[in-house]
Amino acid sequence: MAAPPEAPVHWTHRHLLDVDGLTRPDIELVMRTADEMHDVLARPIPKVPALRGLGVTILFYEASTRTRVSFEVAAKNLSADVVNIAAASSSVSKGESLIDTVRTVEALGADMLVMRHSVSGAPYLAADIFSGSVLNGGDGWHAHPSQALLDLYTLRSRLPGGSLEGRKVVILGDALHSRVARSNVWTLTAMGADLWICGPSTLLRGFEAWATRGASGRRFTVTSDVDAALRDADVVMALRIQKERMASGLLPSLREYAARYGLTSERLRAAKPDAIVMHPGPMNEGVEIAADVAAGPHSVVTDQVHNGVAVRMALLYLLAGTRRTEAGA
Amino acid sequence: MSGSEGHDTTIRGWAVDPGAEREGAAEVEVRGGTLERLTWLSGAAADGFAADGVLILPGLVDFHAHFREPGNEDAETVASGLAAAAHGGFTAVALMPNTTPTLDEPSVLGQVRAAAAASGSPIRVLAHGAVTVGRKGETLSAMGELADAGVVGFSDDGASVRSATILRNALAYAGALGLPIVDHPEDLALTEGAEASEGYVATVLGLKGWPVAGEAGSVARSIAVLADVVRDVPGARLHLTHLSTAASFDHVRAAKIAGLPVTCDVTPHHLALTDEWIAGARRWAWEALDGDGRARDPWAEGALAAGLYDTSLRVNPPLRSAEDAAACRAALRDGTADAIATDHAPHTEVDKHVEFGWAVNGISGIETALSVVLAAVGAGELPLAAAVALLTTGPARLLGARGGVAPGLRAGEPANLVVVDAGAVWTVDAASLASKGKNTPLLGRALPGVVRLVLANGRVAYAGG
Repeated sequence: MAAPPEAPVHWTHRHLLDVDGLTRPDIELVMRTADEMHDVLARPIPKVPALRGLGVTILFYEASTRTRVSFEVAAKNLSADVVNIAAASSSVSKGESLIDTVRTVEALGADMLVMRHSVSGAPYLAADIFSGSVLNGGDGWHAHPSQALLDLYTLRSRLPGGSLEGRKVVILGDALHSRVARSNVWTLTAMGADLWICGPSTLLRGFEAWATRGASGRRFTVTSDVDAALRDADVVMALRIQKERMASGLLPSLREYAARYGLTSERLRAAKPDAIVMHPGPMNEGVEIAADVAAGPHSVVTDQVHNGVAVRMALLYLLAGTRRTEAGA
Repeated sequence: MSGSEGHDTTIRGWAVDPGAEREGAAEVEVRGGTLERLTWLSGAAADGFAADGVLILPGLVDFHAHFREPGNEDAETVASGLAAAAHGGFTAVALMPNTTPTLDEPSVLGQVRAAAAASGSPIRVLAHGAVTVGRKGETLSAMGELADAGVVGFSDDGASVRSATILRNALAYAGALGLPIVDHPEDLALTEGAEASEGYVATVLGLKGWPVAGEAGSVARSIAVLADVVRDVPGARLHLTHLSTAASFDHVRAAKIAGLPVTCDVTPHHLALTDEWIAGARRWAWEALDGDGRARDPWAEGALAAGLYDTSLRVNPPLRSAEDAAACRAALRDGTADAIATDHAPHTEVDKHVEFGWAVNGISGIETALSVVLAAVGAGELPLAAAVALLTTGPARLLGARGGVAPGLRAGEPANLVVVDAGAVWTVDAASLASKGKNTPLLGRALPGVVRLVLANGRVAYAGG
């Protein structure tokens, strides 16, 4: 299998903080690069030296297993030197500011910073003062670029013809608090999908205004009618519902949510026979998604996890490429 | 820079005197600090002077500013605040009491006055007292003593008067003292954790929304309470500060028509900026509207010129949609809003340069206020005379006799005036700002209106530009 492609001339983004600014060619390049990385992962030793000598610091202010480990595996597969910081066990718990943390991390040799934070917009602050590349691993409710891109990659590998044009894609669940939903709005509309966002009305707050304006020049549909949403759907992406949403009065109970919006095999029957079921994880089986659906033949959840490593390798590779370009290498 | 003696100067320019309801080419002579003569020019003598050139205005009056002393002198002191006010063209400022300790009894007012005197600034310093002790909303402050000591009103600004009972009692008690309650309208139940105005921009940026009802609901409540109070206390007065939404103005408009003694003010940032700035847009609010008066889409139009989530944009109440900003300007035009007040809120870099949702609220605005208003005037959003009135006679009226501020270009009185070149441009940068608070979203922006001279009480408060 050939070595990964040469430093790409088309990828010009030093940071990846959101997917709003990605053009269709940008997205295609990510997909192609992820394909190459996917092949690398199939090897007995799934490693390439592309990022050798580069320091990748993973700085997560929020608990995470899947994304944090996925980034660590991706960076190591590219032979980067990886430092993994969980904020709770760092000086952040002593009150060290984000700015000081980023400066410290940079002084300790980080060339790339993968960040997750509970406050929307935090990675932009980091990007302002960090001389390397910042990759947003999720900020508050705002964005989760690598998730949206791995979701797209997964869909293209599973949909007939690898195209989303005109496909009915339904995001089902708590859109209000979901950075996964927001980033997917941008990528799915950019790729021509017929996007629907469905959930209890309290958790769709604000999306109607966005839907009528559209994203990437394409409108989408927002509804609390789960039957209308699922009818003839090609893809259903279930989002995690958190217990905290009841505490803040947004929902009567998880039980009611599961009964009215949970993705059960019965509800799934309204979708197309070969419909794809996705979930960004972690899943609350029995709440937003039934256990048998999560493990069933429609589900591509494990693909998503596997593809996540390939897509993250691609993103780290492309971002590192801007550094090489700048250095004239 | 201030002189200790009465100033001498002769100035020619386009004078605007809202008190005299007159504007035009004029020559103003100041001798020994007294405005000796104002001569309106005509014919050839008036050539070259116009509303887009050098303006001579009465000194501006700010009804609402925060100078942070005592207690938070890193962010601003009375001295630095007065220097900033002078740079902004203001000759009278009314300070808010959310200092530490709170200005809820006369000794703290004494501290502020002493700091003002020590600064040597000739600018007139007035103060609002707190409505409640410590601004905690539980018991009334020493209102009578504060009134005797000369406060111009009462406010728990930074917070609203949460309890309707306390508000009712405060309106009645202050009304009998002849002073207004200045309320910061906010329903904390609706605004808890809110980061940006609820709407399209907040949705796309994943920011917790600050619903319109969070302000308008509180406005409606306060007006309803006022209606009950005036039956017993005809002198009661309610002033709603920094209103930002069309719905709020609708309530005030209806209340005024019904004859209720309610007034309100608007900040320069709410009339000129919008929430789309958080997404990186940098166009004025009037440029962000389409032909039907609807907010344009910053993403669709590629109108994003700057970084996202700039914390200098975090303010309470938040920057609103272009439609609400337009409602602010409409309210200023039709008299629903009585004044433009800066809500000057300086903060340290440490408090601001953090994650957006964790940044303190506040825009340092006293030095850019006049320029922002002139930009709106230049765009045809406000007539010049009305804009000047909203910055001078409007706030003076709110301050009443107790404030003792009477803006005008009248002969025989100590000169309180500002000379500003509306045709010149200055670039806002940290070095050029006299305020310690550099937290303005206008950093780096070129603005119209270079202040050349400010005379306060006959003495030079600022000369330069």
